[in-house]
Amino acid sequence: MNSSPIPNTAPFAEEEIEILNRVVGPASPTQRAWLAGFLAGMNTATTAPQPAVGAQPAEPLTILYATESGNSERLVSDMAKAARKMGLKPSIVDMADLDVATLASVRRLVVIAATWGEGDPPARAIRAYGELMGEGAPRLDGALFGVLALGDTAYTEFCAIGKALDARLEALGGKRVVDRVDCDLDFAEPAGRWIKTALKALAPVEEAGRGRVIAVDFGAKAASTADLGPVEAEITEFIDLNSSQSEKETIHLELGFDGAAPPYKPGDSLELYPENDAAYVDDLLKAAGLASDAALRAELTKGRDVTTLSLKTLESYAATTGHQHQEVKALLESGDARAWIAGRQLIDLLQFFPITLSADQLLQVTRPLALRAYSIASSRREVGEEAHLLISAVRYQSFGRARKGVASGHVADQLKKGQRLRVKLRPNRHFALPAPERDIIMVGPGTGIAPFRAFVQERRATGASGRSWLFFGDRHFTHDFLYQLEWQDALKDGSLTRMDVAFSRDTPEKLYVQHRIWNQRRDLVDWLDSGAYFYVCGDAKAMAKDVRTALVRAYADVKALSVEAAEQAVNNLDREHRYLQDTY
Amino acid sequence: MTKELSRNERIKEASAYLRGTLAEGLREEITGGIIEDDAQLVKFHGMYLQDDRDLRAERVRKKMEKAFSFMIRLRVPGGVCTPGQFINLDHIVRTYGNGTMRLTTRQTFQLHGIIKSNLKATMREIDAALLTTLAACGDVNRNVLCNPNPYQSRAHAASLALARALSDHLLPRTPAYREIWLDGERIAGGEEEVVEPIYGKTYLPRKFKIVIAVPPSNDVDVYAHDLGFIAILDNQHEIDGYNVTVGGGMAMTHGEPETYPRMADVMGYCRADQAIAVAEAVVTVQRDWGDRVNRKHARLKYTIEDRGLDAFRAEVEQRSGVKLAAAKPFTFTSTGDRYGWTESDNGCAHLTLFIENGRVKDVPGGVQWLTGLRRIAEVHDGDFRLTANQNLIIANVPKDKRKSIEALVAEHGLTTGASALRRNAMACVALPTCGLALAESERYLPDLVTALEERLAAHGLAEAEIVIRMTGCPNGCSRPYVAEIGLVGKGPGLYNLYLGAAFDGSRLSKLYAADLDHGAIIANLDPIFAAYKSERRDGEHFGDYVIRADFIAATVNGADFHKDTGARR
Repeated sequence: MNSSPIPNTAPFAEEEIEILNRVVGPASPTQRAWLAGFLAGMNTATTAPQPAVGAQPAEPLTILYATESGNSERLVSDMAKAARKMGLKPSIVDMADLDVATLASVRRLVVIAATWGEGDPPARAIRAYGELMGEGAPRLDGALFGVLALGDTAYTEFCAIGKALDARLEALGGKRVVDRVDCDLDFAEPAGRWIKTALKALAPVEEAGRGRVIAVDFGAKAASTADLGPVEAEITEFIDLNSSQSEKETIHLELGFDGAAPPYKPGDSLELYPENDAAYVDDLLKAAGLASDAALRAELTKGRDVTTLSLKTLESYAATTGHQHQEVKALLESGDARAWIAGRQLIDLLQFFPITLSADQLLQVTRPLALRAYSIASSRREVGEEAHLLISAVRYQSFGRARKGVASGHVADQLKKGQRLRVKLRPNRHFALPAPERDIIMVGPGTGIAPFRAFVQERRATGASGRSWLFFGDRHFTHDFLYQLEWQDALKDGSLTRMDVAFSRDTPEKLYVQHRIWNQRRDLVDWLDSGAYFYVCGDAKAMAKDVRTALVRAYADVKALSVEAAEQAVNNLDREHRYLQDTY
Repeated sequence: MTKELSRNERIKEASAYLRGTLAEGLREEITGGIIEDDAQLVKFHGMYLQDDRDLRAERVRKKMEKAFSFMIRLRVPGGVCTPGQFINLDHIVRTYGNGTMRLTTRQTFQLHGIIKSNLKATMREIDAALLTTLAACGDVNRNVLCNPNPYQSRAHAASLALARALSDHLLPRTPAYREIWLDGERIAGGEEEVVEPIYGKTYLPRKFKIVIAVPPSNDVDVYAHDLGFIAILDNQHEIDGYNVTVGGGMAMTHGEPETYPRMADVMGYCRADQAIAVAEAVVTVQRDWGDRVNRKHARLKYTIEDRGLDAFRAEVEQRSGVKLAAAKPFTFTSTGDRYGWTESDNGCAHLTLFIENGRVKDVPGGVQWLTGLRRIAEVHDGDFRLTANQNLIIANVPKDKRKSIEALVAEHGLTTGASALRRNAMACVALPTCGLALAESERYLPDLVTALEERLAAHGLAEAEIVIRMTGCPNGCSRPYVAEIGLVGKGPGLYNLYLGAAFDGSRLSKLYAADLDHGAIIANLDPIFAAYKSERRDGEHFGDYVIRADFIAATVNGADFHKDTGARR
């Protein structure tokens, strides 16, 4: 009897197939017959027709989303569930896949759009966003629409993409039935309220009239992430990978778990619960005249974002304090506020315009401390029940004060081997490995290398036949070549096919990964022509754009294309989900 | 003899005239190193693969290979370069190097800390400056030294011309250097073509060093090199001819008494116009007679010991067609440099600067050697001369330029001297870059000198000229075995102390005490200083005194270097 009756091609993960084979392989004919009947029955039960909602056919609702970190994506799946209950027939469309022309026939449209970095669309949405904003966009005359914008007040162009789309849909003839809401990092509650309002406005009139009660948990508590709640981990290894002569500090963290590691896949991230720097919090409390409030100190340290200084913070500071400081108001009105906050933090505001605050007032000018996500730098197939992270300590000097990144500073300065911390898995299905026989090209300068360490480990462990090509860059070859020995081994054992490096501070002219892409353009386009996947991880501000530009130039040069045609070629990679980005 | 040739012989043989796989290795981006065989070959191109040994301990944990970089040694015959060339080198070390230059004991520049990805750019800049690194290291004739002798301009001009001619004549002819570093294309050539008429496919058995001395100065340490020419001047101060010395060399290995430093023998006298033919014959006899089985027995000094000077001389005479005459009389007085300004018979002035251990760098808040010398190079029309004592001469300064150069010297804190012991001190590079170092040298000697100066001053010997030299290993780059006080690294923080060499470089020293740490070095020397102060005769040098006073036995030559060692009193 065949001991492995479940074929490798079955729609299960490798380890699941192994488990199934362990059960089904040695099962007796009676056991197998029972299992077959049981599974058939189970299937019928779950797909049994639901009670009819109403007599009339459901109205289609298109839910379009643009996501970078996955928040919009989680919201749309919640919204679709709620929409179904209201008699709508939702279809979810990722902007990455949007054929803009199809919008012409859409009658009901909601858009949940994240803004990324300095007012940019999420990488995956760049193409569709461009088309929608461009001259070729279809008319939307009479279509009902609403926009929910996600963003981060720490960036000056807060929710810029949601705002632009909202205006654009109206300009194209759409009829706004619900006002846009702009959400900050703590989006769950306002997003939930907006979804309810939007669905009410979009639902067929007779349905809305019946006053159906909707009860759905929105946002953060989405069912899909419920099993990914925080888990305890122990730091089993803590290494600053940069040489002691480097000006950089990049920490390789190995986390062990009491039981199984979170079920992560290469490309996923782990979120850390950061803590604010104790000295900074002390300074802040002192500036606010609250130095003796121990409870507040604890709350600020673990629970509040006490560093971000945005226009919103300024406004809220001015309002909360009843405009005691005319200068703050004047600053806001002068239009110089943006320039003033650049390079400053909340502490500067309190020290520059000191007011004795109450604890509540101080809490009001801060927002909840957000988790910080880091790409996982390991594969469970190689490291077992561990997860590795790569964290670059952000340190800089501005306005006479030594500053550091909240999470990275916490890791670098406070954490040590043997300590415990809480982490939470954040899956990223948009940055996953392709089928094992496909070639992959990975561009990951600096900490952008992290997920590719996971990729290479995974492909080594699974014996994937596809070729892999890594581009890495940092400042100095001698002092900043992260995981150098591991890449040398990977090249030797074949899990990495080739590697190109760019170190920016070794030569008079700075050399970056995009220059290496340009140097290697012939082979690169050749790989992509034969179906390779192109991954970019790391800095969103400059690197990701420069890499994309370099790739466009590469296509233009190698294939003798116009710039437009070369852009089209790269856009096609997007469309085929072969240009994948995880940038920050 | 069926003994197997040494590994380096096989590497040379298979290298296709020093190519090996260097071109391929340079394209390997993910390692800063090159494979071991190529690391041997790259020496012939003037560089050593090194790594920062200070960082070794942390690198594996940080998942990084050794902190590799290359040391590039130039070939500057006679140590003479133009100010323009100095400016080029200044640019290179600031752009690709570690921001310092090292003036060596063999009158050349060493550039440290150049990483592999910058090698070609560096080599192209060196070439553009009309400088070369070919054969600065390796089993070939290396840089040819000559006395920089600014105050005897005609003798210097003649000896410099000979140094350059010898250097050119004995330069490897392989096109590999241009191919690998400059042009990138392999120049086609039939296999049967004679690529290296002097060296052949496997070059020499070991390194080969030539110097030219102009008495009374023995600043080049003529006896410490494979081949030496001692200029014999006629009464018009022109060089008439040379006494030829053969078989000097410093290197030995701790614990292997069959290895030893040796002073060269004076083989005879040749006319100036015969010097090149004699040199070529010495090189080819060594090429054919030298030991290619045991690299520790491969220098010319062992060939001379094994075959005897007479047989060697006969073979050289036969091959060169030059009948050597009896050696002519000469006198050496010292090995040191004359610091400060000197004037010469051509009406120019020359400024000898004292650069401690030859390290040209800008010290934050201190002396600005690199910047200062560059500023001088920008206004100077004469030449720059490196001395065999790791110092620099701003040579051929017209009288009207003296003031401006003096001003730059003062502005950058440059020095034209030091205490008696310090100005007679030399150290090799050693840690952290030299792969051979067993102990510190350049980074430690200045502190030791400070401590010894304190002892000397206590005995009223502050003005005593005593030659002190230190190396981090027994290979002898700073020629410690011809120093009156020689210190040779044995292990971290430990040194062997050698005494009894002659002040003029004409006699080797001998092991006085082994495995001394800082305190023990001082404790051993202090009582000898005290005795020297009270017992020394008029003008008696320290090295001569310790033998007369029976602190140590005299070493007559290499073969008895290891005999009768240790303190006798």
